[in-house]
Amino acid sequence: MSTPVALVPGVLALLPAYASIEDPVAELRAACLSAVAALGPRVRVRASGPSPARVAASLVAAAGAELVEDEAASGLLVVGNGSAKRSERAPGHLDPRAEDFDAGLRRTFAGIDQGLAAELWADTACLPGLPPLAEGAVIYDGAPFGVQYWVALWDAP
Amino acid sequence: MTAAGLKLGRQAFGDDQALMMAIVNRTPDSFFDKGATWAEDAAFARVAEVVAQGAEIVDIGGIKAAPGVEISAAEERARVVDFVARVREAWPDLVISVDTWRAEVGAAVCAAGADVLNDAWGGADPELVDVAAQYDAAIVCTHTGGVTPRTRPYRIEYDEPGGVVAAAIADTVAYAERALAAGVARESIVIDPAHDFGKNTFHSLELTRRLGEMVATGWPVLVSLSNKDFVGETLGLDVGERLVGTLAATAVCALAGARIYRVHQVVETRQTVDMVWSIAGRRPPLRAIRGLQ
Repeated sequence: MSTPVALVPGVLALLPAYASIEDPVAELRAACLSAVAALGPRVRVRASGPSPARVAASLVAAAGAELVEDEAASGLLVVGNGSAKRSERAPGHLDPRAEDFDAGLRRTFAGIDQGLAAELWADTACLPGLPPLAEGAVIYDGAPFGVQYWVALWDAP
Repeated sequence: MTAAGLKLGRQAFGDDQALMMAIVNRTPDSFFDKGATWAEDAAFARVAEVVAQGAEIVDIGGIKAAPGVEISAAEERARVVDFVARVREAWPDLVISVDTWRAEVGAAVCAAGADVLNDAWGGADPELVDVAAQYDAAIVCTHTGGVTPRTRPYRIEYDEPGGVVAAAIADTVAYAERALAAGVARESIVIDPAHDFGKNTFHSLELTRRLGEMVATGWPVLVSLSNKDFVGETLGLDVGERLVGTLAATAVCALAGARIYRVHQVVETRQTVDMVWSIAGRRPPLRAIRGLQ
């Protein structure tokens, strides 16, 4: 049985422990919460490490859903993002290859060069297998801090 | 006692809030501004300025603290009562404090719309607490070591080394309890060690260093440090050069948990207190994204 799938970036600023008085990621947070809310009450998470997993868990909790590890989940939440070298003020500074790399991800998550992804500080380990970022699936697409974020939701086919 | 919020007349504040009380002098001779806001319109403009800067409280005074020409109660009333009414009309929600030790002046300003009676002279007029209770106003209970209003400290010593802190706590808490017994609401009572009042510079430095002991009484603590002589003597600086020293003392008091800051410079003090409040974990950063993208 197919289930809805969502993609969010592992942005630590989304965690309650790092809350500011003015939310620097308000728009991104709203997009993430709307995507996660569509995954139903039992959400399974696919993340590349503990810190993106923590972001996912906090979004699931904020959506009032339960984190599960079994196949009977009502939805799947995947954590990942593009390069963190998109601008001179980006965490990894500007890398001229970053824009093309992210444009490639924007077309397809198949055939990702994971070596280049590591050089560009992209979190792409969990992205292979996701459907393309087609119109209608993308809720958020931006690189406000020099890191390429997508929030997407693919409904069950 | 446990903290239960702070009620200053018509406004209530949470226990996590630090408040700026901006000094507004209706005097021709106060030490810092030297009469700059003596004219009523100048004082009114000063209120507008500090409100725009974010001060929650204005502290209006009609008599300078230092010795000088005697100001009768009638003259003090003439300086502050109508002015309080004018400020109240212009800013219905602003917390208005009046710096007075006289009960009859306190009653007149409360009737005109004041929220707080800031008794800088430690209960010299015993009926002031009754006025606060009658008008449901807040009261600031200061420690002066029992000196007569408008006198400078002269060879004042406390029982033992460090005794100034014990005396400040004992006297302000006793004053607070007297206010409570008189009917002032518990959440409307504030204590103030009163730096430089009945104290030499060593006393004021020690009170600053050990302010946490006053905070530990549970009564909300007000500090009045702004450009005072203990800063000037410590650094060898004249009145107009004491901002940095004032802010250093402010930071120490903020870390200890002082709640109200009586100040000349609102913007600089707010920045200092906000920074310390965040270091202490009582206030999130305004907008943190570095390393968290």
